[in-house]
Amino acid sequence: MDKPSKKEGVLYRTARGVAVVSGIFALILCVLLIANFLQTQSVDPLNSGALTRLMEELRGNPEDTALKEQIRALDLLARKAYFTRQWQIRTGSYLLFGFVLALILSLKYMSAFRSRLPDLRKGPGPDRTWEEKLLSRRSLIYTGLGLFVLALSAGALSRSDLRRIGRAEKPTVSADFASAEDMRKNWPAFRGPGGNGVAFSEKIPMEWNGETGENILWKIPVPMEGYNSPIVWDGRLFLSGADRNNQAVFCYNTENGELLWRADLDDIPGSPQERPRTTEDTGYAASTMATDGRRVFVIFATGDAAGLSMDGTRIWAKNLGLPQNHYGHSSSLIVFEDRLLIQYDQNTGGRLIALNTRSGEVIYDRPREVEISWASPILVDTGSRTELILNSNPSVVSYDPVSGTELWNIRCMMGEVAPSPAYADGMVFAVNDYARLVGIDLSGEPSIAWEVIDDLSEVSSPVASGGLVFMAASYGALSCLDAKTGDLLWIEDFDDGFYSSPILSGGNIYLMDMSGVTHIIKAAREFEVTARNPLGEKAVTIPAFMPGRIYIRGYKNLICIGSGGDGQP
Amino acid sequence: MGKRSSGNNRRESIHRRGPAAAGMLILFSLLLAAVLGYAQIQERFPKPDFQTDYTRPDLSTPLPRAQVWEYVDIAVLIAALVLASYFAHRLRSRRKIFWLMVFSLVYFGFIRQGCVCAVGAVQNVAYALFNTGYAIPLSVIAFFVLPLVFTLFYGRTFCAAVCPLGAAQDAVILKPVRLSSTTAGLLGMLPVIYLGLAVLFAATGTGFIICRYDPFIGFFRFGASFAMVLFGAAVLLLGTVVARPYCRFLCPLGVLLDWMSRLSKKHVKITPDTCSNCRLCEESCPFGAIHKPNPSAQSPDKQTELRRLAVLLVLLPVIMFGAGWAGSRLYVPLARQHPTVALSEEILLENGGKRAVMTDATRAFRASGKTADELFEEAGRIQQRFRTGGWLLGGFIGIVFVFKLIGLTILRRRPEYEIDAGACFSCGRCFSFCPYEQLRLGTITQKELEEMEREGKNGSGAGGTSPMENNQNG
Repeated sequence: MDKPSKKEGVLYRTARGVAVVSGIFALILCVLLIANFLQTQSVDPLNSGALTRLMEELRGNPEDTALKEQIRALDLLARKAYFTRQWQIRTGSYLLFGFVLALILSLKYMSAFRSRLPDLRKGPGPDRTWEEKLLSRRSLIYTGLGLFVLALSAGALSRSDLRRIGRAEKPTVSADFASAEDMRKNWPAFRGPGGNGVAFSEKIPMEWNGETGENILWKIPVPMEGYNSPIVWDGRLFLSGADRNNQAVFCYNTENGELLWRADLDDIPGSPQERPRTTEDTGYAASTMATDGRRVFVIFATGDAAGLSMDGTRIWAKNLGLPQNHYGHSSSLIVFEDRLLIQYDQNTGGRLIALNTRSGEVIYDRPREVEISWASPILVDTGSRTELILNSNPSVVSYDPVSGTELWNIRCMMGEVAPSPAYADGMVFAVNDYARLVGIDLSGEPSIAWEVIDDLSEVSSPVASGGLVFMAASYGALSCLDAKTGDLLWIEDFDDGFYSSPILSGGNIYLMDMSGVTHIIKAAREFEVTARNPLGEKAVTIPAFMPGRIYIRGYKNLICIGSGGDGQP
Repeated sequence: MGKRSSGNNRRESIHRRGPAAAGMLILFSLLLAAVLGYAQIQERFPKPDFQTDYTRPDLSTPLPRAQVWEYVDIAVLIAALVLASYFAHRLRSRRKIFWLMVFSLVYFGFIRQGCVCAVGAVQNVAYALFNTGYAIPLSVIAFFVLPLVFTLFYGRTFCAAVCPLGAAQDAVILKPVRLSSTTAGLLGMLPVIYLGLAVLFAATGTGFIICRYDPFIGFFRFGASFAMVLFGAAVLLLGTVVARPYCRFLCPLGVLLDWMSRLSKKHVKITPDTCSNCRLCEESCPFGAIHKPNPSAQSPDKQTELRRLAVLLVLLPVIMFGAGWAGSRLYVPLARQHPTVALSEEILLENGGKRAVMTDATRAFRASGKTADELFEEAGRIQQRFRTGGWLLGGFIGIVFVFKLIGLTILRRRPEYEIDAGACFSCGRCFSFCPYEQLRLGTITQKELEEMEREGKNGSGAGGTSPMENNQNG
């Protein structure tokens, strides 16, 4: 560098001084800004610990004015602190910009004194152009090969489930659920196959006594609260349980009552932070599970629904939205082919939801112009088509289960509908207490063939077969009516009322009263009791019927009834 | 020399008028910006009729930019490009280029907040080409096309004085180190890959990654994520010793400008006269864009090199296909950057019970009423687009790779110091190092020039002893 002039020397020293000072200030500001930024990131003014504690206190003492003032003051303080930090960051940024600018300008000025002329005394040196090109070429080739291998490796290691969905799952859709025949051999839903209250299994026990242990094969304590009924598939029994803190599904070996697995479902996406209020006689797990023979499905009063594999692995889980239900959601699930069908009637309007059984995705979500209800859907084959029939206020409505399209709608109900409909021989039977029992003829344009207004069911669902309809009232009356005309054939009073529904099996009606006594009555035009079998405890659920077995969930125990048992689990 | 003296007089005259004109233009632009910006501030909603104690704050948020601003921006861009080319080619003035660069940094950077910029406009154009529903704004087309057109005629004068990203880096060059040609060559592949990715992501509607990862936008707007501010600071810090690192080793537009500049009709030269190989300009370029003369250079085995060249030409389609295939294999990770595909995978995770907590995106999707099958179908289509795009991306990189190899296989002899037309930013730093330039400016005499030439050829001159020293800037 040439020796600078006196004036240049002063300017150079000034620039150096400015560079040092601005550099130090810029460094200090940098540190302060980073510290401030990290503080701002870690602080949430609206969720500070102190504020949360005071809010908790206020919940316990909502009238405390001083506490309110304290909260307001703290809230204001927290917000002020937050925005002050924001201001500091903003102002600091401008200052930093200024100092960095001064630093750069002074350094640039200083660098102007530095020579960039080459030292010509060294000479140009040997010409290495070719060697440099050779080295560059080799490096480029190796880099290119490296990139090639990297791209192939990254491609090979990247997996996308989307590819699997597109490639593999679609062709197997039609075969990914059990046949109707297999459904009839098992107990896949609330009130059996199709939810119609008819058991197709044979050799159903006729006599047992839970108090003495007669024909009780095994008996185990119910693992968790719940009014849902057991479902059974191929040697496995499933039921759900829930309380204010837990939700779970349990699977048992039907042979010995051994718990095969338990799947906790407390971490479902979208599940409400606080459990909704339910009444004691409904609880959080009133809805009965369902299965398609490949998976089992569950829904709780929180609106949480899930699909699990037969070995308890969660396949999907989601929240359908918190049910607006003053007793608690209790409508049970049912499966049609690859669709899980959910009657989601609430205070704010009803919905019929079909979820993909494999993914839980919504296939359709039809709004329903109905009041809240607690009934469950049934699936019936009318000969020409399969219909999904829902009982609710004010209508009994039939849907195409594939598309969710409404097929017919008959306004005939009122009140808080809980009983599910029943179907037999081209007739649909729907009932509700303080409303009516209607026989809807599907032979032509669906219409009400008859209706009766006496001895109506409040909770229990009717069952129909062989030209007869059976209906159990919660005050203890069982009536039998002519399915074609609605004429009352007989009515009998029992000691206890009925919440459980009658199930038809082998020409007999099995009806369990609230004390747990199952009455077996001939499904005939004349009243005839075949047996009276106490369970030994109260029960309001629906028994599951399998060949030679009945499974009942009592208030306390899950009980398996069969021939030759002595009651010892 | 008499003819040159006549030219010098004319240039001197222009030289005197230049600063005044440029100053007027800058002042006019700033005043216009201030006036129009203020005029745009107005009520967005009518005031309520009822009276309250509430004191209304002063209006400070301007309305969205009016159409007129687009035309103002285009006009300023054209003016800046014309001036940059004029300063570089006619006036050969580094000082004027520098001040125009400062203006561009202020106007296109801080006032216009770096948007729309020519670098990002590449993506808009790619998006418009593949998405017919997108009406690309006139200003975006102008910001994409004009720099390329000017480069085709005058070299990269846009990079020299108009691009705010380049200006920000140019301003911080303090003590640049010279990278080896091998390192620079390898790093030079990065902008090619970045350009390919940016076009692919824009064309598929994935996003504008150039804008998302613009390291300077945070400074222009005084606000960005912490990571981006850190990235920007790191680039600027690196830029003090590696000159313009973003421009040279990342800028996707730089790839196109490089090609255009190689084909440019006119390009700046180190010397206004003939090169005497005095070596004074040897270290003047911080970007390594000056090639030394190599009159005696030759390959040791000419036949082998010719055979290599032939093999490369034959392999061109094979390498292109191979690179395309490798690119197509990347479609899964690449497609994952698309919001629809990312959402699909999140939904799959949630549905499979592998993730318990919903994200905002999945929650919004589930509230939309759209089925997942529809979403998966759309995501599948996007993946297929990425598969095709991966072929094109890989093929593009493969072609560039082969041509770079060909460039490294051919040995071209240079009798004198030459500018690398593709890499040169036309910044004018080297002008003042040339004794002929000093003679043109009248800062040295003919006698001094001859003396310097003699010293240079004898190798007796030492750095820092020349009268040239005091005439360099930048």
